[in-house]
Amino acid sequence: MKKIPLSKVDVDVFYEKLDNGLEVYISPKNNVNNIYVTYSTKYGSNQNDFVPIGKNKMITVPLGIAHFLEHQLFNQEDGTDVMTFFSERGTDVNANTNKIKTTYLFSGPDFFEENLKFLLEYVEKPYFTDDSVQKEKGIIEQEIKMYQDKPFTRLYEGITYNAFHKHPIKYPVIGTIESINKITKEDLYTCYNTFYHPSNMVLVITGNVDCEKTIEIIKEHENKRNLEKAKPIKLETYNEEDTVAKKSEEINLNVTIPKVAIAFKINVEKLKKVPKTEITTYLQMLFSLKLGVTSEFGEKLKEERIITTSIDSYVLDADKHALVIVATESKEPKEFIKRVKKYLVDLTITEEELERRKKAYISEALFASDRIIRINHKIMNNVVKYNKLFTNDIEIIESYNIDKMNYIIKNINLDNYTNYIVNPLK
Amino acid sequence: MNYEKVNTIAYNLHLIKTNKFKNIKIKINFKRKMVKEEIVYRNMLVNLLMESTKNYPNARLIEIASEDMYNVGFGSNSSSSGNFHIMSFECNFLNEKYTEEGMNEKSLQFFLDFIFNPNVDDEGFNEKAFNISKSILRDDIVSYDDSPGRYSNTKLLELMVPKTPLSYNSFGYIEDLEKVNSKNLYEYYQNVLKKDLIDIFVIGDIDKNEIKKLIKDNFKIKTLKKENSNHFLENKKYKSRFHVVKETKELEQSILLMGYKLEQMTKKEKMYVSYMYSYILGGGPDSKLFKIVREKNSLCYSISASIYGVSDLMIIRSGINAKDANKAIKLIKQQVKKMQKGEFDLEDIEKARTTYLSSLKGLEDYPSSILNMYVSKEYLDYDVATERLKEIEKVTKEDIINLAKKIHPDTIFILEGSK
Repeated sequence: MKKIPLSKVDVDVFYEKLDNGLEVYISPKNNVNNIYVTYSTKYGSNQNDFVPIGKNKMITVPLGIAHFLEHQLFNQEDGTDVMTFFSERGTDVNANTNKIKTTYLFSGPDFFEENLKFLLEYVEKPYFTDDSVQKEKGIIEQEIKMYQDKPFTRLYEGITYNAFHKHPIKYPVIGTIESINKITKEDLYTCYNTFYHPSNMVLVITGNVDCEKTIEIIKEHENKRNLEKAKPIKLETYNEEDTVAKKSEEINLNVTIPKVAIAFKINVEKLKKVPKTEITTYLQMLFSLKLGVTSEFGEKLKEERIITTSIDSYVLDADKHALVIVATESKEPKEFIKRVKKYLVDLTITEEELERRKKAYISEALFASDRIIRINHKIMNNVVKYNKLFTNDIEIIESYNIDKMNYIIKNINLDNYTNYIVNPLK
Repeated sequence: MNYEKVNTIAYNLHLIKTNKFKNIKIKINFKRKMVKEEIVYRNMLVNLLMESTKNYPNARLIEIASEDMYNVGFGSNSSSSGNFHIMSFECNFLNEKYTEEGMNEKSLQFFLDFIFNPNVDDEGFNEKAFNISKSILRDDIVSYDDSPGRYSNTKLLELMVPKTPLSYNSFGYIEDLEKVNSKNLYEYYQNVLKKDLIDIFVIGDIDKNEIKKLIKDNFKIKTLKKENSNHFLENKKYKSRFHVVKETKELEQSILLMGYKLEQMTKKEKMYVSYMYSYILGGGPDSKLFKIVREKNSLCYSISASIYGVSDLMIIRSGINAKDANKAIKLIKQQVKKMQKGEFDLEDIEKARTTYLSSLKGLEDYPSSILNMYVSKEYLDYDVATERLKEIEKVTKEDIINLAKKIHPDTIFILEGSK
């Protein structure tokens, strides 16, 4: 394996790409007891239009299928219960799907070899039947209904939907009741065979492991599959417009205090002088400095009782656009929207503010480097998002400067926005 | 890992040295015998003290200062343990090896400012800050009963161990809160600083002498303190059958609680045997109660059993349909009886041990859980990790049966959903 040290955080990562294309990252940490393993495919709700493996025509699959597939992989042909297998070994097990990836994971101090082999096995052996697919629809329908009662989920999903025209980031990861009911066993196999090929997957192991022994176990297991490297998957690209799809929306739910959000859709392709990988962080810093707990603006709105909690800002990455969602709870949601828009005409921040925020980010990165879960997620997210591991996070944060920030401030345009309000029931 | 306890007349300082972590964590506990009327005072203090100081009079300025010191984190909470009420203040910062020289002291001073330099004027605590904290606590107390789980738990304990610290609402009572003002709260706080028993826990890759000196220079309490009470609660009387109480509320799901009292447990029983017992009886998807009551008879949504070492109580909690209460109670009683008769396998014991070991090892990966082990060591004389690893291996089937025989039925509380 190739050794890749992460600078300034005392963490080493070992890397190898197997013959079948699977990327393996191992970061041993021998002063902890636990081992944390994630097995991920670069496949989430954004990858909904693609050319299936071995075919040449672009297809569109029902929304929510990546998440549906995650649920279905827990079915085993021989009836083994995945949850019981791990729980009998004192091991935590879980899986999750987001916009860009699906991850299967376990965490525990003992029975590592058995657990690892079992993880690989159950993820690599799909078993879908008409019956199991039908049953799953009922379960996921319940899950969708449960989310529909959650005000903040509705707020974030609603505003994201309204901000985009075509980009699939528009849709909730879980899909809709209508879309998931269209899913067939055949659809699942098509998606599985395309996206769960080892060439599209990454295995990350952090914690108290022996690197050499572990890679041998993985290789032995993977070699038996007799798969060759696959060609890159052809995905649809979207010519997304700069405008938002819908300018405002209000809904009524069972809440006491209204929830409100404004989302700014920003074209980031024009910001050529700052690396794409840094733009999100700059935007995050900018908006949280202007609106967050350390801002006078936020304090003033709280004192005037316009908002009842702090203002959150969150940056969503959608290829050539970034969507900055600013959200809070407010008894006067319309006044809040008005104030924010007026206030953000001036985006100036001081160098002192930026430097202060950098210290907080550096400290976060150092804290994270003590935690095997955080190291694991960092590696996985880097690989899923950028196809490479960043080894100098701290230096990158240190290199952030007011000139680049000012360049971004000068070149972004906040004219494309959409508002969303969740009102109490009448 | 290396542990040292320093006794001074005013406080105990517990130093846990380990090179596992890049941060240093400090926890300061103030404890005294719980008095019902004082609960609101102590809840007020843990909020109010962290909201502002003389140097940083509002939340925004505190946050700015904290970022400037590499995101030093802090928090507080109030809790009860046995006969005591505990106010905890915590702070967490990067070891200065990773930031700048002098940051350890700066971070500590920043943290201690919350305790020794509160936002007071001539009359007492700053009125504006006081009123905000008071209204937050009022909301908490008023909405305490909104959570059906919390409500029924308190109700059960009021029935089982009335007028003991265990039965008190953890936020306190409205009639007591109305009597609190910024002046008498400040007076109470002066009394806390003089009279409460104080333990300071520090964990990290520390230079012990440096920390001792920093605490000595900055922790401004010098008065003599004496332990005045036993931490553990004791049961005095046992019933031979359940006393059953029912209430109705507008809920979808009903809650069934079965409370048992235990004859005084030994340390081994409190720490290890009770874990094994409750894991086998009702610890997870593999437990007797889960399998019989939920899976086989579909009588409940959830079911679990917990034994409390500090109070020698066991509570079995279950979410059920109102109409199924009697059937569920019957099945649960049967399972409890089977435990006394030893009707469980060695395999069950081994599974329980595996889970214990796995979560214990997990605890050792986090500074806060290591620190909390030393809190239990100080307050309850509990073992820490290395001893626990050994002791859990010694638990036998015999031990579990003996514990099962110490368990006596006491009170059943049913919160019936009327929807």
